Parts: sequence; C-alpha cells; structure tokens
Amino acid sequence: MLAERPPFEDLYRQFLGRIYAYVRAQVASSADAEDITAQVFMNAYQAYGRFEARNTTPAAWLFRIARNATLDHFRAHGRRERLRRTIEHEPVAGEDPAGMAEERIQYRALLVHVARLPERQRDAISLRHSGLSFEEVGALMSCSEDAAKMLYHRALKALRESVREETS
Amino acid sequence: MKEDEDLELAALQRQLDDAFETTRPRASFEDELWLKMQSRRPFWARLRDVLTGLVDGVREAPAVPATAVAVLLVVAISIGVIRLSGLGPGGGGGGTSLATREGGDSQFNGQPGPFGRLPAPALQAGVVPVDGQTAPKASSAPGLGSAAIYFGPAKLEWAGQLSVQVTSAPVFRYVEPSMASADQFATSLGASPQAAQREGPGILGSYAGDGFTLSVRASTQAPSGEPFYVLILSTPPSTKGTTAMEIANAYLTAHSLVPAWPKVVAFVQSGDVTRVLYLRQFSVPSLGNAYVIDGLGARYGLEVDIKGGAVQSLAGPLPLNLDSADYPVITAEEAVRSALASSQAGPGTITPTPTVRLTTAELVYALAWAGDHSFYEPAFLFSGTFTYNGTTYVKRILVPAVVPSQRSS
Repeated sequence: MLAERPPFEDLYRQFLGRIYAYVRAQVASSADAEDITAQVFMNAYQAYGRFEARNTTPAAWLFRIARNATLDHFRAHGRRERLRRTIEHEPVAGEDPAGMAEERIQYRALLVHVARLPERQRDAISLRHSGLSFEEVGALMSCSEDAAKMLYHRALKALRESVREETS
Repeated sequence: MKEDEDLELAALQRQLDDAFETTRPRASFEDELWLKMQSRRPFWARLRDVLTGLVDGVREAPAVPATAVAVLLVVAISIGVIRLSGLGPGGGGGGTSLATREGGDSQFNGQPGPFGRLPAPALQAGVVPVDGQTAPKASSAPGLGSAAIYFGPAKLEWAGQLSVQVTSAPVFRYVEPSMASADQFATSLGASPQAAQREGPGILGSYAGDGFTLSVRASTQAPSGEPFYVLILSTPPSTKGTTAMEIANAYLTAHSLVPAWPKVVAFVQSGDVTRVLYLRQFSVPSLGNAYVIDGLGARYGLEVDIKGGAVQSLAGPLPLNLDSADYPVITAEEAVRSALASSQAGPGTITPTPTVRLTTAELVYALAWAGDHSFYEPAFLFSGTFTYNGTTYVKRILVPAVVPSQRSS
C-alpha cells in the first residue's frame, strides 16, 4: 500500500519558509530567492501526484527539488558573478528596496558568510539548519549519514573562521 | 580550550538556527505564490466547463468572472493527426485495431479481449486541498472562482442526456519505458544524463542540455499518471513568432516535440505567463475525439509556458508507442445506472449529504495503471454542481466504459 500523502497545501504552508530560507542562504538577493522558491513549489505541485511518501519524506523530497533548482540557477546565471556581488556587498541590479525592507535581515550577515563557503559545505549547513536530519542531508548529497556529519562539522568550522576573519 | 571551541561552535549553530528560522519571504509572497500555483492547476476545473461539449468545431470561451487568472481564449483546433507509431512524440488514437469491430458484449464471446481483462480507471482525490474531517475547503484564491471539486458522498440524480452511438471503443496500451528509453528521448533533445540525480523515486532520468534541464518520470499508480517529462529552460531561446501559440509551436517544431496525438489547443494567462495547452484526445471511430482526463477528471496534455516572448518550460506525456484494441462498451443506460450507483468514498465530507444533479456526461479516456504496462481506457465522465455555504462545488463521477465482463476490477 502507498503511504498516505498529505494535501499539498499543507506541505506548502509548512515548508515554504524553510525552503525560502535554504535558497536565500545561497543566492545574492531576495528576488532570486523568491524566483527559485516559486520554481521549486511549481515543480513540486506539478510532480506531487507522483510523489511516493513511502520512499522519502516530504521534506527530503522538497529539498531535493530546491537543491536542484538552486544548482540550475547557478548554472544559468553564473554563480561566480553573484557570489562576487555578495562578498563585495554590491547591490544586485533589480533588487527591490521595499522587498529588502520587508525581508527579515537580522541574520543576513551570517548567511552571507554561509554563501561564501564552498558549494558542498554551504549545502550541508543550509540543509541541516533547514531542519533536515543528517540522514536526509546525506541522501540529498549522495553520501552517507556519517559523511554528512563530517562535512557539516567541517563546514561549521570553516564558517566560524570566516566570521572570525571579518570581525578581527 | 577544546571546551571553548565546542561552546563557540554551539553558539554558532544557535545563530544559524535563528538565521534560518527568521529568514522568511516578504509577507505577501506566500499567498501570491499559492495563487500562482492554483492558477496552474485548478484552471482545469473551470476550463472543463468552458470546453464541455466541445469536441469538434471552434468556440470562443465565455468570459470568466473577474479573477486574477483569466482564461483568455479557448480555441479548439482539432488536428486530426492520428497515429500509433512512436515516430515523433506521443502516440495517438485510431490506427490499427487488434480486434474486429463487431460491437456488444458478445464481441469476444465472454473471452478476455486482446489485452486481457482490464483494470478499471478511477478518479482520485489527488492534490485537491480538502479537510478530511469537515467540509472541503474551497480555495480562497480568487483565481479559482468559487468552484472546488468534491469527492465526498452525495445523493446523485441524473438530469442530463447521454447518447452513446458506438458499441465498442479502442483501448490503448503502452509498455512502461525504461531508463534507456528516457535517455534516448533526452539525447534526441541534446541533453545528457545527470547520473547523480537518477536515484529519486519514479525518476527515469534527469538531464541537462544547452540552456535547459530535463526530468523524465515513470508512470504512477495513485493517482494514475503516464510517464511524463518536464523541461525547464534556464536560457530563453530565440524564438520565432509573436503570439504565444506561434512561439510554442515554433519551439516544439524545432525540437520535434509537437504532439502527434489529436489535440485541442487552449490558452491560459496567469500574470505575465501565458500557458499554451495541447489537450490530448483519442480518436473514437464513429464518434469523434475524446479528451484524456487526469485523476481529478480534468483534461490535460502538453503544457508550454511562455514568458517575455520566450518559452519558459514544458511539461507533457513522454512520447510512447501505443498498441490499440477494440473493446465492447456499455450502453448509455448502463452508464447512467452505474454513475448513480457508484460508491463515493473520498476525502472531505459535507453534512448533511448534498444532493447533486449530474447534468453532463461525455466519453473520455482515463489512464489505468497496470504495472509494467498501462492502459488508456474509455470511460464516461459525469459532472454536476451544487452549492454549500455559498460555495459552488463540482461533483464528478467516472464510469468505466468497457463492459464489466472485460474488466478485472
């Protein structure tokens, strides 16, 4: 028997914020984060009829879609250029000041440091702090749970060094 | 020293937790996106009403009440391309029958038809947002209008007319495609496999090409769904044409993705995205073309999204070879009786049980999943509406058209 699927709207309401935060930690602007988040849920909505709850958790399924969408975004738009803007704190063309004002920015500085990490470290941090278990992080990143833990802790230390360098 | 380091890392983890917890989109984003998503799916519910009875000919769609999502225009273009070979995308209705068209239940003298006894297609509640304990919720999104699909129990009455002029109809079968088939399809589009992303459930392959990504999915049992592909363009292609249909057709033609099956083309405008819909049909001899419906009873097919004068994404059935065989079908009277007697175990219940007058019925095709192969089978889709607490609900009943003696369920 197939595991029961919750209504998609429940998933949407439950995970929208977490998916957005995951994406936002990796891209330079809130506008990009919204675009990617929208694409994630559009794709998920379209594919939900084919989602099999017995094989994966809704969280892992959605974050897989989010991860792929983010990778696609970087491939399409050139991660290097966006990262450069992030690091140099340059405003991104088209950033909506009103939108920025609405965004909760209390921890933006920390997320900027996350965005500077190497891709896999950034991914490990973002997935883990978006609420996924190490098992789910490992599954998404095609590695074991233990490897995901090690990667995460290396990423955490690298993040600490990054923060230290800026504050020193 | 080690303890200090651990404390520092723990503090950093808390900051990260807070950072991710407090990073949220602007306040209106959630509802805006939900509305946009609703406009991509439940438009079928409204579009169905627009298209009801429209099999041949051309008809302009009636205006939809002021909504954020407007069905601009529905143009029916029956393109009678009927073929069963796998040349080009899709397979179609008509074509070579494996059975002699004699009609009636006696066609096979009680023996199973060429495909054996068939599983019955059925509607499935799917992703319709409903509350399992109380009355189903109608979406608050203005783009939906005031209609929602109701799958719960109802007292049914028949108030329409149904005339079935045929005694048999073709059933179409496909064999579940392999990963190699998906690879072949991707290669034809110039895409290469992304091996690491193939392990997902139901995924036949994920691919990347020049300026696009492609995902190919296998059939699904519940709700029944055929193999399909989703192509998302990251780089807007240079396109020819000025109208959405011209742009969509140019792209499909350039990539050999024009559906070979009979279709009706429709358009839906949602914000700055125009969706061109190639609604799939099968050809039924002596009757005409019948729409393919999904588990919600909605017509579907290939969808092409156009934004800024360029194709943004495509999603549609994976091109497959189809075999066909004629099966005897029930009469109109039997179909009505079955509809009125059908069990209606679905999520969402309205109390007291509503009375629904079914006013329309049409022959459609619905997918019946059967493992390593599946069938598009003829069925009668009955529909009616009722109002509860000021909300209009649509009730649909699907009755398999193939005679019971040729069905396994």
